[in-house]
Amino acid sequence: MTAVVRSELLKIRTTRGWWAYLVVLVGLVGIGAAAEVGSRTLDERSGLDFQFALVDLIGITSLLAIILGITIVTSEFRHGTITPTLLATPGRERVLAGKAIAGVLVAILFAVLAILVVLVVASIYTSIDGGQLEFAHGDVAERAASNVLGVVLWLLMGVAIGSVVQSQVAALVGSLVWLFLVETLLVGLFSLLDVDAVAEYLPFHALDGADGTGGDNLLAYGPALAVTLGWIAVLGAAGVVRTSRRDIT
Amino acid sequence: MIEVDGLSKRFGKTQAVAGLSFRVEPGTITGFLGPNGAGKSTTLRSVLGLVHPDAGSATVLGVPYRQLDQPLQQVGAVLEASEVHPGRSGRNHLRVQAAAAGLPDSRVAEVLALVELTAAATRRVKGYSLGMRQRLGLATALLGDPEVLVLDEPANGLDPAGIRWLRDLLRSLAAEGRTILVSSHVLSEVAQTADHVVIIHRGRLIQQAAMADVLAGASGSTRVRTPDAERLRTLLGAQGVSVSEAEDGALLASVATERIGELAAANGIVLHELSVEQATLEEVFLELTGGETTE
Repeated sequence: MTAVVRSELLKIRTTRGWWAYLVVLVGLVGIGAAAEVGSRTLDERSGLDFQFALVDLIGITSLLAIILGITIVTSEFRHGTITPTLLATPGRERVLAGKAIAGVLVAILFAVLAILVVLVVASIYTSIDGGQLEFAHGDVAERAASNVLGVVLWLLMGVAIGSVVQSQVAALVGSLVWLFLVETLLVGLFSLLDVDAVAEYLPFHALDGADGTGGDNLLAYGPALAVTLGWIAVLGAAGVVRTSRRDIT
Repeated sequence: MIEVDGLSKRFGKTQAVAGLSFRVEPGTITGFLGPNGAGKSTTLRSVLGLVHPDAGSATVLGVPYRQLDQPLQQVGAVLEASEVHPGRSGRNHLRVQAAAAGLPDSRVAEVLALVELTAAATRRVKGYSLGMRQRLGLATALLGDPEVLVLDEPANGLDPAGIRWLRDLLRSLAAEGRTILVSSHVLSEVAQTADHVVIIHRGRLIQQAAMADVLAGASGSTRVRTPDAERLRTLLGAQGVSVSEAEDGALLASVATERIGELAAANGIVLHELSVEQATLEEVFLELTGGETTE
């Protein structure tokens, strides 16, 4: 399994897309951190609210994580590289497991990189008007940890979706349309039908609740985690079945 | 070594392979021939565990491909040359495969040198010619120094020098005792390289035999040159022998040289040339597959 994961990590690192992920990540998180500092007064910046807002910037990488998760599976079908991959590792569930593990490692790297960018940018910006950046409270570390876990879950959701859909364009476009359009429409529909609470169980609403940052009309943290893992398990199982049965021609 | 037994596979309405059985013996080069759409690729992909047969089985080294302990160290395969990420360099493509097989990066450099691709190794595959992609495919197959090689149309896209290079490479690999199954539509290439042939058509086995037997068993023809061609032709026709005319005006008759010599002597016909025309693999192939070409 180590060999499979090493190979998958090498795949991720050896295309230009990898650098695009890193550039976008540093750019978006950096801008977010600068804006966050700039919008607060010196006083506000000593509060827990501000510190939470800073570590919540880790969540920006969630979108990158789900795109990466979808891509590491679907790119194999798009470019036909699934053939050499399966020749080296004929067990298809092993290949998918290797992708999930490699993806999780990269998602953690994304989140850690985001934290570093936040620390660097926020320290520089706070020092400009003589302030000092402090992360006093243990709650902040906990909040950061649940944000990191959130990014990992988005990655896993991407791998699960990719293994079910397999077409790269359909998976990427479909996920974004579902995320930004379909779930919003469903929320409205459920509201009209007077079953508002059902919306909280939709995959991306569950994911939203599972990053530990709270929000309106979302499940509590624990249940959100459970529902998210349920979606990932169901989609992942369907993906394993579909990938195993597929003829690679 | 490679054993296909009663293999059948249908894609939608197309029966790609229908009850195909053949064996590839250890240490031989076997040419796998058939017109386009005969089911060659489907068969090879079934052998490699990529396609699930509807019925029958395909094994390599006695087991289904999926049960091999170290697939890349046991079986090397070249399928379509396009199955490489265009944005990855040739070297990184090989490193990815080497990592999955637990092979060291030093092996990557070795196979790059073997296929003479070292100079282009760090360039992205997008910029490779078809011939370079074929070489990269061969390098991938040879990474694990496998004892069995399965090659699907490896000569595609190679220039004449490349084809000669491939032929020499395959021969030296076979001389090392490896088993090679190679499909090709360049029949003359197979004739020069393979010692066995498996010919399939519409998913069924047409013939499996040693190359020499295939050519020997084929109906060759007799070539005759005579100033009295019309008369000889009429005489042969009267005996039910089919005669055709070669480009240079000589006659090609489907009958033994002795019969023609006797016939000519009996009728006082002068012969300028009387010789046996050996059938080529191409002719055998067209005969066996009912005239459908591979292209």
